[in-house]
Amino acid sequence: MSGPSFHYIEATRLDDALAQGARHGATYVAGGTDFLQLWKTGLAAPKTVIDICRLPLAEISYAGDTLSLGALSRLSDVAAHPDVKIHHPLIADAILASASGQLRNMATLGGNLLQRTRCPYFRSAGLACNKRAPGSGCGARDGENRHAALFGTSSGCVATHASDLAVALAALDAEIVVASAAGERRLRLPDLYLLPAPTTAPDSSLADGDVITAISIHDACRFAPRSTYLKIRDRASFEFAVVSVAAALQIEDGVITAARLAAGGVAPLPWRLHGSEAALVGRAPGKAAFAAAGDLAIEGATPLAKNAFKIPLLRSAVIRALQTIGGVS
Amino acid sequence: MNAHSHARYEALLKVTGQARFEGEIAPAGLLHATLIEAPIACGELVSVDAVEAPTRPGFATLVTHDDSASLKSSAATTLIRETAIHFHGQPVALVAASTLAEAHDAARAVRIATAARPAVTQMDQALGAAIAPEMVGRFPAATRRGDVATALGEAELVIRNRYSTQVNNHHPMEPHVVVCWWEGPKAVVHTSTQAIFATRATIAQAFDMPPRNIRVLARFLGGGFGCKGQLWWPWMFWAMLASRKTGRPVRLELSRAQMFTLVGRRQQTEQDLALGFANGRLTAITHDVVAQTSAHTDYSDSTAVYSRLLYACPNVSTTHRLVRTNEPQPVPMRAPGTAPGTFALESAMDEAAERLGLDPLDLRVKNFADHDQETGRPWSSNSLLSCYRVGAERFGWADRQKRKKRDGRWTIGFGMATTLYPAIRQACRARVRLNGDASLVVQCGTQDMGSGTYTALGQIAADALGIPMAKVTVELGDTWLPDGPFSGGSQVTASIFPAVQSATAQLRAMLASMAASDANGPLGGKTSDDLDFEGELIRSRSSNAAERLSDVLARTAPDGLVAEGESAATDHPKLAATGMGHGAVFVEIGVDSALGEIRVRRVCAAFAAGRILNPLLARSQYVGGLIGGIGMALHEQTLTDRATGCILGKSFADYLIPVHADMPEFDIAMIEEDDPHLPGSVKGIGMLGSAGIQAAIASAVHDAIGKRIRHLPIRIEDCLGPACDTAQR
Ligand SMILES: Cc1cc2nc3c(=O)[nH]c(=O)nc-3n(C[C@H](O)[C@H](O)[C@H](O)COP(=O)(O)OP(=O)(O)OC[C@H]3O[C@@H](n4cnc5c(N)ncnc54)[C@H](O)[C@@H]3O)c2cc1C
Ligand code: SF4
Repeated sequence: MSGPSFHYIEATRLDDALAQGARHGATYVAGGTDFLQLWKTGLAAPKTVIDICRLPLAEISYAGDTLSLGALSRLSDVAAHPDVKIHHPLIADAILASASGQLRNMATLGGNLLQRTRCPYFRSAGLACNKRAPGSGCGARDGENRHAALFGTSSGCVATHASDLAVALAALDAEIVVASAAGERRLRLPDLYLLPAPTTAPDSSLADGDVITAISIHDACRFAPRSTYLKIRDRASFEFAVVSVAAALQIEDGVITAARLAAGGVAPLPWRLHGSEAALVGRAPGKAAFAAAGDLAIEGATPLAKNAFKIPLLRSAVIRALQTIGGVS
Repeated sequence: MNAHSHARYEALLKVTGQARFEGEIAPAGLLHATLIEAPIACGELVSVDAVEAPTRPGFATLVTHDDSASLKSSAATTLIRETAIHFHGQPVALVAASTLAEAHDAARAVRIATAARPAVTQMDQALGAAIAPEMVGRFPAATRRGDVATALGEAELVIRNRYSTQVNNHHPMEPHVVVCWWEGPKAVVHTSTQAIFATRATIAQAFDMPPRNIRVLARFLGGGFGCKGQLWWPWMFWAMLASRKTGRPVRLELSRAQMFTLVGRRQQTEQDLALGFANGRLTAITHDVVAQTSAHTDYSDSTAVYSRLLYACPNVSTTHRLVRTNEPQPVPMRAPGTAPGTFALESAMDEAAERLGLDPLDLRVKNFADHDQETGRPWSSNSLLSCYRVGAERFGWADRQKRKKRDGRWTIGFGMATTLYPAIRQACRARVRLNGDASLVVQCGTQDMGSGTYTALGQIAADALGIPMAKVTVELGDTWLPDGPFSGGSQVTASIFPAVQSATAQLRAMLASMAASDANGPLGGKTSDDLDFEGELIRSRSSNAAERLSDVLARTAPDGLVAEGESAATDHPKLAATGMGHGAVFVEIGVDSALGEIRVRRVCAAFAAGRILNPLLARSQYVGGLIGGIGMALHEQTLTDRATGCILGKSFADYLIPVHADMPEFDIAMIEEDDPHLPGSVKGIGMLGSAGIQAAIASAVHDAIGKRIRHLPIRIEDCLGPACDTAQR
């Protein structure tokens, strides 16, 4: 299948891209791995496609405990980069648990963060979906919703965000650098995403024409010795997360001094588990602390007909991830 | 006959890209076509407004039901002749244009109007309206022997459960495709089909033209699994009509998404099964199946048929019923009937073994059927007991309980089950030409789905005449060749074998008499039963004398020799013995019960399916089948949105099939059988791997975590146990 034809522009300079991208009906494409799926099925029908993958925004650098990742870096390059592997293995783990080798060779960081939901109603033209067609309703809410979210949903949308990388980045308090014609701004990663409203559910807070130029992570290499990305899925590889957990701990003298937990597959955005984190800090790693974190992780979860199993699953996943890095079971 | 692990005949062609698949045929002036789909699951097509489409660049033609009026009415043309809409995504028009993008663009400009009626989108919405078909394939749909009610009443143990299986789709890598054109009154149809002659027959009927005016070609296929079995997609006729309207060749290829809706599916089943036992022996079986069929055509797998004969049991009752829903049409899919049917029967046997305190393997052995109790006939051959023994030995079944039950996060479980599939043949003709230089050409109008038919055809002829495979050319997939069998039901090798053998026997006789009749030649005066064919020579068994085939030919038949062989289809009513292939599958799985994940760690399967021509190809068929079975057990499920009838997640990102990481080590044992009833002792093998393993996996899950899962696929939510820290809760 092919979608409607469009005008194709290859951008070589950021300011050009920004100027073109702000025009009505324009969209960016980087690795194209998500965009092409949407275009082929008629879900994305831009007038103009601006190919930004040749913009010089693929640098990876690490200095003064800040890791900076160019937004057009390929997932496979990031996962293989020594500074990432050594100082931020959580990022490499999350990437290597994503998609397949071929896809990771094409897919970019920015594109990964901005991929659209896998909700099958969103991806089937013609079905009710507030995210795709505001006001049309939500087919998933009373339909097939095994994949759907437990947190942050609205009456209008129960979709999850599918990126694994975003979950790891949320746990590491990453910042997103966004360029627009008006200049550059920085966002906390969760602020890149929006929670759904009653009849609409835009994914991201970016305005038309905004380009993500970089991702930066400060003061996180202290988690390198104890971090893990646990991804649970029906088959062994090449599947989006049913539930995932990014976990990182800092333990000093037998006491947890810092904890980071974020969950994937359970919310419209990477879901930081602040309550669980707070319950861990100041305690000795071990069964009691981990169970408390697990209990708090599922507080406030609202299940639908077919996704209630994700609640005990999330709890178990949090505990398992903590056991993996906590040095005790 | 010798077993030879010849590499695939067409391997080099395929890996070097020289094998031309029919969808790659690109005649000059080729038009590209696309289908417009109905957005409703039930109702009527009201109008097709194509005012704007013809103004689009590249537009060539639009084909609708109106054009189909010129076609003969038949089951194959109903969907394109009538305006009734039976399922979401049913094509309502075809658009052809110069490029595919232009076709899509023009199709978007066509406005269709439909009138919806309430749809039945789920079996249980219409259970009350279930119908009872007469037949399921070639078997009666309902059977009863003995007195089931009394036997169940008197049984010491009754296992009674409901088992359910989901819709699966076939998904060969190569989707359905046709490239077709007309040469005056004649049609040339390149298409990816498992049945060129059946395709030709349906075209002949629809277009009311003599079959000789139609040439159908399918020389290479990228898989089929049953969905390319016959003309399941009448929209091919629309491509032919588009070609007739425009006078240009037309190409139509289905999208991956359309492979979920337009080419068939494995039907959903709900199976009520009861087993009664006394003294560890089966005294009663009832197996009642309700399955989904489409709103326009009834189709039933032979799901309960195998419960009639796999085990010895005096009292057996089976029924099949169908619920018509506004969902796509089911068709046979690899291991039709046996895959869902053995899931129920073999899962119940495992449960019975547990309740009886018997080893599941011993229970099977104890209930072995020494003849086909449904027909009263003997087995043509049956080595199931050897399969159990050999498989168990290689797997280490007997001491499985001594093995560690944990490996890191995994709780280990073991399970086993039986698989079976009938050995049947179709009519077949084959032509073998021996050229003057002693090279061979074998011709048969069958297809190679990728399963090795080229190799098997070449090998049978080459072996019979003592000619190396390197000197054999095989031609298939063309209706200009002698009529061959369709590729399905694990029948091709068994069907071509006697036909090719008959042709080569004729050639051997001619050559022997040619060699013997030359008084001055090295074999002069020898009798033909003294002569053997080997290493491109005709040899005397009783002396050292031999003569090169090429010398015999040069002397007496410089232009070569040709012979045609023919064989008949299995004549079921007249059979003296029931032909059946068997297997025993043993699996080891791991369940992470805190996280619900299940992974298959090890599979050992022993199969007995007559004589194996080519162990390398056979192994590939078995392993491929087992992988398909793992998919059905753990991954595959076609989802329907019940509100609209629309199939959801129509892509490989969403419809899960096993990836390499899901494929464990496969240990395959092949038990050879001499079968006096079957030509060459050849039975089919393609289906065997795809049944049985589902129940073996479900039983292994039970062994690991103590939960009986009676539906497929078995997924995370089914295996989620208490969290890893229950002690703390
Ligand atoms: C079969 C399959 C399995 C997958 N499995 C996983 C998985 O397990 N886990 C996972 O996380 N992902 C998975 N993915 C998703 C995959 O990771 C994304 O498709 C990919 O990361 C997108 O990156 P891209 O560069 O190709 O994006 P594109 O498709 O090029 O772009 C996606 C969107 O982002 C916008 N965009 C891209 N870059 C920028 C930028 N710098 N600034 C502003 N806008 C931008 C584009 O306009 C577009 O709208 C899977 C995808 C497939 C097809
Ligand atoms: S959950 Fe969201 S994305 Fe899915 S159908 Fe509902 S509105 Fe659309």
